[in-house]
Amino acid sequence: MFFNGGFFWFLMGILSVVVVAAFRAFARDRGWRIAWWKGLFGIAAYFVFAMSFYAWGTLIGEGEGGAGFRILVLGIVISLALGAGFWKLITAKPAD
Amino acid sequence: MSESTEKGISRRDLLKLAGVAGVAVQAGGLVAAGIRAGRSSESYTGWESFNPGTQFFDRRPFEFEGPAHRPVSEVRRPSHLTDYVFGRVAAFQQAYRAHPAWKPGEPLEALGMSAQLAQFYRDFPERLEWDFKTFTETVPNNSRDKEKYGNYYVLAEAYEAGFSAHAGFLRGPSAPPEESDFPGPDPFGRKTRPPLPFRTPALAADFVKEMAHRYGATLAAVTKTNPDWLYSEGWRGCPPDYDFSRMPAHWEYAVVIGVPMEWDVVLSNPQFGTSNDAYDRVSTAAIRLEGMLKFLGYPARSHTPLTNYDLIVPPHAVEAGLGEIGRTGFCITPEAGGNCRMAVVTTNLPMAVDKPIDYGVARFCNKCKLCAESCPSGSISMADSPDGMVIRGYEHWYINNGSCYNFWRETMGPMGCRLCVAACPYSRKDNWIHDLAREIDPRDPTGAVSSGLLSIQKHAFEYPEAAEYHRPPGGRFASFRPEPPYLRAEKYLNIPINKPGK
Ligand code: SF4
Ligand code: SF4
Repeated sequence: MFFNGGFFWFLMGILSVVVVAAFRAFARDRGWRIAWWKGLFGIAAYFVFAMSFYAWGTLIGEGEGGAGFRILVLGIVISLALGAGFWKLITAKPAD
Repeated sequence: MSESTEKGISRRDLLKLAGVAGVAVQAGGLVAAGIRAGRSSESYTGWESFNPGTQFFDRRPFEFEGPAHRPVSEVRRPSHLTDYVFGRVAAFQQAYRAHPAWKPGEPLEALGMSAQLAQFYRDFPERLEWDFKTFTETVPNNSRDKEKYGNYYVLAEAYEAGFSAHAGFLRGPSAPPEESDFPGPDPFGRKTRPPLPFRTPALAADFVKEMAHRYGATLAAVTKTNPDWLYSEGWRGCPPDYDFSRMPAHWEYAVVIGVPMEWDVVLSNPQFGTSNDAYDRVSTAAIRLEGMLKFLGYPARSHTPLTNYDLIVPPHAVEAGLGEIGRTGFCITPEAGGNCRMAVVTTNLPMAVDKPIDYGVARFCNKCKLCAESCPSGSISMADSPDGMVIRGYEHWYINNGSCYNFWRETMGPMGCRLCVAACPYSRKDNWIHDLAREIDPRDPTGAVSSGLLSIQKHAFEYPEAAEYHRPPGGRFASFRPEPPYLRAEKYLNIPINKPGK
């Protein structure tokens, strides 16, 4: 079946590359230089965000949609916190 | 610099738009993939296949040199008459029927019950109260409740009846171990043979476990039989004057096997669940294993839920490394949690034994208490640790099986409760979310992961109040989760249905 097959995860991989490339383009337009460790921070934020949706779906499938939704909200809050940290890191002015 | 497309959007802008769309598509795709993972038949541990893949947790990092149990005081072997709740309540009820004027508080001798049972009730007076209530109050109330609401649960009972019908085909031993356990002519008249030697005990254990899985066992492991955990009387096929004080030498090894109850049904406890689906399968697997061992020339005796036991299983399962004793007093396994019905085959085939494991259940149970908070009868301890809880000479969690059994007789649908199985966070299916918890938590020495998981469990998942599981008017015959669609009588049957709470 499509959603548990290798092709699905291949597509997800491609989409991840597109998302990263798009963000790089967005960052370059603003003149931000993103060191690799700052990039990892951003990837972590996006990973938590994406996995929260996967967890939500899995718990819906298990008949625990209510718990899934609460976990989704928790995941989004965590990813927003991480994302805010990432944003601060990449927009911070270098020290004189 | 921007390179414009014909419509005036730069490639760079197109890439950025694709990125935003990618986020949306990825989120949607992951939800769909998650729903598929959550529903997948492959996640139904023990119900998806009959092969060794069902025992998927790598126990090796968590093994330790046993034994996992050490006596802390004088050991007393379990008794069918007192520890086995069905036998105890039946004996009490029989004595009461002969002396119906007897009232609690009067001397037990007036009931004419055995001295052993009377002593047990003196040692555990709360069990006397519960057992008395069971047959004088709870069972009659339950008959009236079933008259009123029974049709709503009739398909759950039908599901159970199909499994219990098979019990009539499963025969336990009809002669003492020295006779019935040894190979004799099988149903096809095949000759017996001297025991076929295996190359090594390790290979013998591997082969036996492989066969156990092929016969339907989800989990299988080997330990030595401990005489402390043999019933002190009443072994099957033995006359009352049989010498129960010594373990037959050919019971040296115990092959412990386990099968979960169906996952959707187990979550609909205590009103819709049954133990008999797993009882049937684990009993069948054990009897097959016994037949296979006898065919190879080795004595064997199966101890199963449907043909009865001459020993108690949970401590053997723990010694065999299948899991750890939880707050509920039963063995919590990594693959199926407490959702695991077990059987044992005793034999003298020399086998390498498995080691007990410590994968964090003891520590988790000390802080969890979800089963105790959910238990409608208050049978599960709320203590912070099992320290001082000594039963028959060993210190570990145990429950009040008198109050537990009382609630079994209050529920609708097939008899029993099993709510503590459903409520336990370890009793979960085999999908990536639960596998992540299974793999990470036991490897975290700080306990932070288990605290986080427990907090999510308590705050994100729904747990009805314990009182809701009771009969009206105090309760509403709640189930932990709704029954699976295929057990909904109103969907299939053209009969009057009176749903509790309506
Ligand atoms: S089976 Fe039910 S009544 Fe018995 S201990 Fe478990 S939750 Fe309590
Ligand atoms: S519900 Fe919690 S306390 Fe009870 S057996 Fe399971 S893990 Fe232990």
